[in-house]
Amino acid sequence: MPNKTVKNKNPIFNLLGNPKYQFISIPIFAVIISLILSAIIIFLLGQNPILALKGLMQGAGALPKDNYAAYQGQVTDFMETLDIMTPMLFAALAVSIAMKGGLFNIGVSGQMLISGFVATITIGYAKELNPFISKTLVVIIGIILGSLVGALIGFLKVKFNISEVVSSIMLNYIFQYVISFFIITQYVDPVTRQSRVIGENARLTLMNVEIGPYKMRIPIFFVIAILVAIFMHFYMNRTDQGFEISAIGLNQNAALYAGIKVNHRIIMIMAISGALAGLAGVTFYLGYRASIFPNQLSSIGFDSIAVSLLGNNNPIGIIFSSLLITIIDRGGTYMRSVSGVEQEIAAVISGIILLFSAMSSYMKEVFGARYRKGGK
Amino acid sequence: MYKTIIIDGLAFALPLLIIAIGGIYSERSGVTNLALEGLLGFGAFSGALFIVFLGGHFSQNSNIPIYLSIIMAALGGALYATLFALLCIKFKSNQVIAGVVINILSQAITTFLTRQINQNFFEQPSDKFQIGVFPRISIPVLKDIPIIGAVFDNFYTFNIIIIALLAVTWYLLYKSAFGMHLRACGDNPQAVDAAGIDVEKVRFKAVVLSGALSGVGGICFAYSISANFSPAIYMGYGYLAIAALIFGNWKIMPTFVACLIFGFARSGGNELAKFLQLSSSYLDLTMTLPYILTLLLLIFFSKRNRAPRALGEIYDKGKR
Repeated sequence: MPNKTVKNKNPIFNLLGNPKYQFISIPIFAVIISLILSAIIIFLLGQNPILALKGLMQGAGALPKDNYAAYQGQVTDFMETLDIMTPMLFAALAVSIAMKGGLFNIGVSGQMLISGFVATITIGYAKELNPFISKTLVVIIGIILGSLVGALIGFLKVKFNISEVVSSIMLNYIFQYVISFFIITQYVDPVTRQSRVIGENARLTLMNVEIGPYKMRIPIFFVIAILVAIFMHFYMNRTDQGFEISAIGLNQNAALYAGIKVNHRIIMIMAISGALAGLAGVTFYLGYRASIFPNQLSSIGFDSIAVSLLGNNNPIGIIFSSLLITIIDRGGTYMRSVSGVEQEIAAVISGIILLFSAMSSYMKEVFGARYRKGGK
Repeated sequence: MYKTIIIDGLAFALPLLIIAIGGIYSERSGVTNLALEGLLGFGAFSGALFIVFLGGHFSQNSNIPIYLSIIMAALGGALYATLFALLCIKFKSNQVIAGVVINILSQAITTFLTRQINQNFFEQPSDKFQIGVFPRISIPVLKDIPIIGAVFDNFYTFNIIIIALLAVTWYLLYKSAFGMHLRACGDNPQAVDAAGIDVEKVRFKAVVLSGALSGVGGICFAYSISANFSPAIYMGYGYLAIAALIFGNWKIMPTFVACLIFGFARSGGNELAKFLQLSSSYLDLTMTLPYILTLLLLIFFSKRNRAPRALGEIYDKGKR
């Protein structure tokens, strides 16, 4: 008889093993273990790990710095963190819905780039438009372009049996080079070697807004990104379509026998994923940034895969995981100035976090087994 | 002109091929390998590390350290692949996710270490390791044959190493007992288990081998493209290798053909831009040729593609 009622004497194992709390306890455990391991690495390099980790938080505005320049403060730093978190959140949502449906959208970076580029050259350079109209148009263009590319990838999969991984990688390259060509030949700013800066009217982040003693950026789409995440949570867990997507992800054949139009749904999943990637693209290229580097895909598209994983592919979890990874990524520069550790360690720390979260199913199993045995 | 196309095309196709073969080993054993990108980067880093620390101890014009660096790259790739194998096989992670994590971690670790080592040991803020130029040779009589003679003209000697590895890996996969077990693990692991062979052990070996082969490919790319190791090695060639092996239907020889198509489309595009005397910005357009070509070819040929049946499934003894 399974003696589930026996309470584990060790409260930590009790927490980690109880399947009721595992969805939250295991990711937190993974993060803590990773931070300890990172601290050991920093210590072995002869630096002070407490100072370095504190520097990371300070750089991202999660903790106050010792002193600030004029118009600057912890709140301005934190606003910037939220600004770069916005595209990360959209991108991770894009990855997660595809992943729920058993598809792997590794082309988020490419979908971001094409949406950002088309929005830039059409609306971004139309500087006489009313700000409200141009911001709306930018978003619509981002959604349309992204979902078209996503649908194309889905179509190639169901019609020609081309793995979505391969076709999206090929499309990534094609977009990267073709857009680089157009930027360099048509839209380049000769000084910065990037595309010309877009007009403030089209930019999705409000810049240099004076509030009290500070001058800060206001990422208006941050709130929308959070709302979209909540909506996605509802969509995935409370609607027929959401359940159909999960069914396809769990077992395509079973879904087919259950009468789900799998092929239609696959194209639809990729279109939704692409639309979210498009939103990530416009909030990145026409929000956090205001121009595009030629010949470069943003790393957000790839990091978002990991963020989605850290958040258990759950939209609400992703809100927290994207905040965490963004803080670590953003704080690196400041950390270097206060602790002397090379700023690239930030990427190593988030890599280690991802490594441990990739082991989460194993941890669930191990701790779960101990929990059921009553901690013996 | 065709000479440059062939010489440059091979210098790109062969390293790509050896990485793709690494991928074939892993995937035919049933482990989806998106980690090729990270494995090739880590291998290249290991080889470059060897050169910057020990290359100076050899006589000036000696090529020995360069060849030793290939071995070190294979070892480094294999070592790093062990981590991937542990994740996929021991810790039963989702293989796609584990692959992406391995890639992200590889780029982070090697970039960080390159900077930190340059700072601590050579006191320069640089993210590059200089590794020198790989020797090139020509074979006297053969190179004068019209057209195909270009294959033997002014080529990197790593081409020979890779062709030799191609022969060995082909034999190992299709003609040896180990290769048969490996392929069986990818199609019907339960049957392999019933025959008394440890599925997880075979897969572990396959993944480590794929790391070693990717490491070799990585250091060859580092030599042929830039003569240094830098984070720029993470250009996505690992993903290109995956495309090549899927295009090659998980078989070594068709994958070889796929790599040649990539290589020649790439060098052909570059030469075309030069021939038409286009400005260098047009290189961006010709660079898309291999990718557009792949997509088109896949549209025509991938209907009959069949992945290994147990690809991506964690082996579960209890499953029927």
